[in-house]
Amino acid sequence: MAVMQLREALRSAMTEEMERDENVFLMGEEVAEYNGAYKVSEGMLERFGPDRVIDTPISESGFSGLGVGAAMVGLRPIIEFMSWSFTLVCLDQIVNNAANVRYMSGGQVKIPITFRGGNGIAHQLGATHSHRTESIYARIPGLIVVTPSNSADAKGLLKSSIRCDDPVIFLENEKMLNDKGDVPEGEFTLPLGVADVERQGADVTLISYGRPLDRVVRPAVKALTENENIDVELINLRTLRPLDTQTLLESIKKTNRCVIVDEDWGYCGMGSGILFKLQEPAFDYLDAPIKYVHSDEIPVPYNHHLEEAMMPSVDKIVSAVKEVCYR
Amino acid sequence: MTVADEIEKRSAVKKAASSAVSGSNGHSSPAEREAAIARLRTMLLIRRFEERTFYEYTSPRTLPDGTREMKIGGFCHLYSGQEAIAVGCAALFDKSRDYLINGYRCHGHSLALGMNPHTAMAELFGRATGCSKGKGGSMHLFEVSAGNLGGHGIVGAQIPLGLGTAFAQKYRKTGGVTFCFMGDGAINQGTFNEALNLASLYKVPCIYVVENNGVAMGTQVERSSAEKDLAERACGYAMPHWNIDGNDVDTVITEFGKAVDRARSGGGPSYIVANTYRFRGHSMSDPMKYRKMSDGKWSPEVEEAKKHDPILLYSNRLMQAGIISAQQIEAMEAKVNEEVEAAIHQAEADPNPALEDRFNDVLAETYPYQPK
Ligand SMILES: Cc1ncc(C[n+]2csc(CCOP(=O)(O)OP(=O)(O)O)c2C)c(N)n1
Ligand SMILES: [Mg+2]
Repeated sequence: MAVMQLREALRSAMTEEMERDENVFLMGEEVAEYNGAYKVSEGMLERFGPDRVIDTPISESGFSGLGVGAAMVGLRPIIEFMSWSFTLVCLDQIVNNAANVRYMSGGQVKIPITFRGGNGIAHQLGATHSHRTESIYARIPGLIVVTPSNSADAKGLLKSSIRCDDPVIFLENEKMLNDKGDVPEGEFTLPLGVADVERQGADVTLISYGRPLDRVVRPAVKALTENENIDVELINLRTLRPLDTQTLLESIKKTNRCVIVDEDWGYCGMGSGILFKLQEPAFDYLDAPIKYVHSDEIPVPYNHHLEEAMMPSVDKIVSAVKEVCYR
Repeated sequence: MTVADEIEKRSAVKKAASSAVSGSNGHSSPAEREAAIARLRTMLLIRRFEERTFYEYTSPRTLPDGTREMKIGGFCHLYSGQEAIAVGCAALFDKSRDYLINGYRCHGHSLALGMNPHTAMAELFGRATGCSKGKGGSMHLFEVSAGNLGGHGIVGAQIPLGLGTAFAQKYRKTGGVTFCFMGDGAINQGTFNEALNLASLYKVPCIYVVENNGVAMGTQVERSSAEKDLAERACGYAMPHWNIDGNDVDTVITEFGKAVDRARSGGGPSYIVANTYRFRGHSMSDPMKYRKMSDGKWSPEVEEAKKHDPILLYSNRLMQAGIISAQQIEAMEAKVNEEVEAAIHQAEADPNPALEDRFNDVLAETYPYQPK
C-alpha cells in the first residue's frame, strides 16, 4: 500500500493510462502550464508534452464537444472541468452528443471519453459554483456516472473509467483532494457498476457516496456504533449509473431498514432516484419506510454557517437511522 | 397541383435547355468527363430521393386493419436545391481518412458519400435495415465506415464535434480532413464561436462550411445576422473565410479544394459560406408563407432561385461541353428514378426493428465492467 492524497491518486491513474495508451490525452482549462487549477495534473505537461496535455480557453461547449468528436473516431480523451457546475453551459454536448450519438447511429460509434472534475458543495463558493450535478447526469441513458470517496476509489475507478468504451461522468470534490488514503501498489482497477459494502452490519443499511461519506456518514456510523449500539451496514455506491441495485437489495433483505444520504436536493435528487429503484423490490423486506437525508431545498448559501446548516450532518443522519430503527 | 406533378415539373432535364451557363473546368480527360457525369448523376439521385421523400412523407400507408400510419415520422428536412455543395464535397472526400459531420439536413450528403438509397430510405421509414437501425431517423443518418459521422439534430451541436474529429486527425497525423457543415442559422449558436476559435488555435484540419440558403426555418439571414456578409462572421478567428457560389458544383470543388489543400498540409481550418437556396420548406410542415406575397403567389425570389438550380446549371454546362447529351441525361435520370423506386419498395417491405432491439446500442460495454 502507498499513502496518497486523492489528487495524487487521480494523477497516478491518468499518468498510468496515458503511458499505457497513446490515444489517451488530457484537456481542460489550466491543466497544462498552470499545472491544474487544483493541481491534479501537476507535472503532467512536463511528462507528456503539449500534444497530450492541452490547455483550453474558457469554452466548455467547445472542448467538451471536441472530446466527444475525438472519441467518436477512436481517441480516449480525459476532459477536465474546473467544476461540474460549469457544465451547465455545455450540457448539450454531454447529454445529446456523448450520450446519444451511439444510439442514434445504431451502434456505429463508441464514445470512450472520461469527463472529470470537482462536483458538489466545496465550501463557501456560493450557489453558482456548488451544484451537485449527479442527478442531472445519472438519469441519462448512455452515460456512466462514477464518484470516488477516497484515494483508492479515485485511482481504481478512474483507471477503469478511462479504459471503458462508454462516456464516463467522473465526479470528484475539491474538498477531498487533500485527503490521504491507502492505495494498492501496482496495477489496480475497480469495477464500474459495483457498490462497495465498506462495513458489514446487521441493523440498518446506510447508502451514500462521494464527499459526505468522509464528511458526515462515516462519523455518524461511528457515533451510532459507539453511542447507540446500532450495527450499521455502510455501502459506498462508487457508481451511480448503472446503480448496483442487487448489492443494495441484498443488504436491505438482511437489515430490513435503509437510510440514503447525499448532499443533493431531495426532490428529484440522486437519493430520489435510488429510492425509485428500491421501493418496490425492497417493500416486502422493510420494517420502516426508507429515509432520505439530503440538503435543504434552497440555493447553496455563501455564509459558512448557513451552508453547513443546509447539508446533511452527523446529527441528521443519526436521528434518521434511529427513526428507521424505532429507537 | 399534385405532388407527382410537382416532381415532374422539377425534372431537371425538362428545364435544362432553358438557360445558358458559362464556364467549365477539368473536363479534358476521359476520367474527368466520367467523374463529371457521375456528379450529375448523384445530384439527380439526391433530387429524386428528396422529392420522393416528400411524397412518401405525405402519403400514409394503410395497415391490414384499415388504419393509416405515417411512413416517415418526425422532422424531415429536404436538400433539394443545395445538391452542388454535398456533391462537390464528395468529389474531394477521401473515405479512408476524411470525415464529414453535419446538421439534420443530411440526406444529400449521405447519398453523396455513397450511402445506398435503400439504407437511407429504410432509416426514414424507421426500419431495422436503416443505416441507424431505425433509431436515428431523417435527422440522424450515419455511415461511419464511409467517414459519414452523422446528421445531428441540435442546431450547432455538431460544430464542436467536427473540431474533435479534426483534432483526432491531427493528433494521429493521418492527413485526413473534416468537413463540418452547418446552416446560416447555426452560426448564431455559441458553439460556433467556441469551436471556430479552438479550431484555429489548435490548427486542426477542419473545413467549416455554412450552407447559406438564406433562411433558418422562417427567419431570413437579414433578420438573424447583424453582419449581412456571413463570411465576415468568421473574421475574428484568424482563418481564411470567404463566400462562394454554392449552386455551381465546379466552383464548390475548386473552392473547397483550396481549403482541403490548406488543411492537409497542416495550414489549419477554413470557413466557407456556400450561398444557395432551399427549394422546399424548412421541414415538411412549412407552408413557406415567408416566401409568398400578400396575394398568396410566390415571391419573385422563388422563380429567380430556380434559374440557379444547381442541376440545371451543371446539366447545361456538361451538354455545352459535349460531355453528355439531353437524351443521355434523360436516360440517366430514368435509371436514377428506378433506383429510388426500388429503394422505396424494398424499404417499405422491410421489417420494423424487433421491439427488444430498443435496448441495444445504448452502451458499448456490459456492466459491471472490469477492465481486462
Ligand atoms: C438548439 C436548437 N434550437 C432550435 C432548433 C429547431 N430548429 C431546427 S432547424 C432550425 C433552423 C436552422 O436553420 P439553418 O441553420 O439555417 O439550417 P437550414 O435548416 O436552413 O439547413 C431550427 C430553429 C433545434 N433543432 N435546435
Ligand atoms: Mg438556412
